[in-house]
Parts: sequence; C-alpha cells; structure tokens
Amino acid sequence: MGVPVPDSLDYVLLDEATIQRRVQEMADQISADYKGIRNEDFLLVGVLKGSFIFMADLSRCLTVPHRVDFIALSSYEDSTEATGAVRMIMDTRTDVAGRHVLIVEDILDTGYTLRYLYRLFGARGPASLKTAVLLTKPDRREVDVPIHYVGFSIPDVWVVGYGLDFSDRFRTLPYIGALKSRVYSK
Amino acid sequence: MSMADDIDRVLYDEDALQARIAELAEEMNVVYSDDEPPILVCILKGAFMFLADLTRHLSFRHEIDFMEISSYGSGTTSSGAVRILLDLASDIDGRHVIIVEDIVDTGHTLTYILRNFSSRNPASVRVATLLNKPSRREVDAPVDYVGFEIPNEFVLGYGLDYAQQYRNLPYIGVLKPEVYADEV
Repeated sequence: MGVPVPDSLDYVLLDEATIQRRVQEMADQISADYKGIRNEDFLLVGVLKGSFIFMADLSRCLTVPHRVDFIALSSYEDSTEATGAVRMIMDTRTDVAGRHVLIVEDILDTGYTLRYLYRLFGARGPASLKTAVLLTKPDRREVDVPIHYVGFSIPDVWVVGYGLDFSDRFRTLPYIGALKSRVYSK
Repeated sequence: MSMADDIDRVLYDEDALQARIAELAEEMNVVYSDDEPPILVCILKGAFMFLADLTRHLSFRHEIDFMEISSYGSGTTSSGAVRILLDLASDIDGRHVIIVEDIVDTGHTLTYILRNFSSRNPASVRVATLLNKPSRREVDAPVDYVGFEIPNEFVLGYGLDYAQQYRNLPYIGVLKPEVYADEV
C-alpha cells in the first residue's frame, strides 16, 4: 500500500512507475556514454536538498563505476532571483580537476543555479562536464544552460515530491504531484 | 576489472533490504504523527540511499535535513570529535529528530552527534540505522530503529563505500578480505 495522496495536491503529474522507468532510461544512456571509465574518474555531484532521491535512484541504475558527492547551496537573503547569485554552503569533497563531472539536479527552472554550478565546476579543470536534470520547465528559462540528460519536460506548475518540496513539505513523496494553487498563493 | 570483482558475497540483496526498510517505516508510522512533524537528519554521504528509500514509505509529515561530518586526520579519536562540514539548515529546538545513519560501528561518532544535538534542545532524538555492528561498539550508543545486525565484516554497497567505490550497489555486500588486507 502506498502513501496516500495529500489534500494539498491537485493531481499526480508523474507516477512512481513512470519516474522509475525514465530514470532507468537516463541511467542506460549515461552508462553507454561513459562506458569503460574508471571509478576514480567519474564523479556525480548532487545538489542538496532536492536531488537526493533522484541521485539515489539514478546512481543505483548506472552500470559504470563512479563516485558520488554532494554540494549544498543557499540563495542570498537580499538577492533577487534575477541576479541568480547563490552561496556555497558545502563544496564537494572530491577534487574535480581531471575528472568527468556530471551535475545531478532535480529541476531546471530559470537556469541561474545550474549556470552558476556549470561555471564553477568548469573553472576547476574537469576532464568533462555534463548535467543531468530530472525535470525541466522550459517556460521558466531565463538563461541558457547546457543540459545533456533530461527526464521530463513539464509545464509551469508548482511540483512537489521525489525530492521537490513546498516549504520543506511533500519532499519524499515517491511520485511528483502538482500543488493546488490555493496552497502556495495564500 | 568489473564492478563486483572485489565482492566476496552478497549479505542482503535488494529485496531483503527493501522489505526491511518498509518494515522500519511502518514502525515509525505508528509512532510519529502530522501533529508534530519530525526532522529526519541524514548523515552524509553513506545514508543518502537509505534515507531516499525509507522516507518514501513514511505516511506522517516530516522534513529532511543533512549533516556532513569528517574525522580529524586519520581515523576516529576516542572522544569521537568530528568536524562538521555541513550543519543542519533547520533549528531543531523543540522538534522531534530522527538521525538516519547507514551504519553504527564503535558508536563514537553517533555519541558525539547526540551530545551536539542535545545542546540544541530538541523535543526528542531517535536513531535509525540500516546496519548495526554491536561487536564493534566501544561506547554505549542508543539505536532505536535497526535494519540489520551484522557481524564484524567489511560491508559495502547501498551508500557504504570502500575508498569511494561501490556506494551505488543496490545490495549490501562483503568486501573480499584480500582487497583491504594490502592496506592495513
């Protein structure tokens, strides 16, 4: 028996089986692209908090050896969304120089955060740098950022579950749901 | 070399892990409620996979937070003192806390975290660990939810690594002794 769908959700956008199938497909593609790589050379970097479930499932589906690392970011309190300035709370523990780096993100929205990370890691001399995002909201994009692996392209609705939250709620639902507008607009 | 060449045997396969994690979640589901949502604190990196699977079975409201710690220099000191590389984003004052660990071994690190948390005045603190090695315990460290009690062997997979390898295995395996014997 699954966890009941909370009242605050309008509908389920992506159910558990759909997500799992797509994550497996993404992992198959990544495994093919990085085939033959040594464990020390391939680093997955997850962005906390949102990406931990995606990371857990994606990394288990990979057949190529790899390391896993996490970073934590926070926006500046006085920053507007338009500048996209983010603060590094915890950096990777692994040195990315000379390694093939894959940034793992739950959702790509305006693109500011991913662009920041792409530039940050790009400046550290990785052997290669790619991005994997589970969800993308093309309607919200404000800056261009390269995405190499993408799970689902979704409309501009407030989504929760599978790592994504609303005020720290609904983060661990095994599916992705659309929040009722009355929940976030009040 | 293939990924599993260093594995002696599988200790808990994927089905056994998932079944046990669902049981642990059920134990928590009868204890916690929406009225006082607890904060689950994941100790990185090892526990992220356990956290991802455990929390998807929880039926009560809860929040997630992360802590990353590192020992000073090589190995653990008897005080268990660790460096906090990433502290909690949330204030746990007055909140129920569940620490989520992959493995409890000597107990030093866990004891240190518990002492650290108690100074923050939480309403309660419980510990959930996927694996427990009681034979290795050097200090009394309370664990409330235990997935499996295991013998004193080098285990890996499902978040646990050997030299940053094998974290992503969907099962728990035992490392061949000759792999790490070279290094001790």
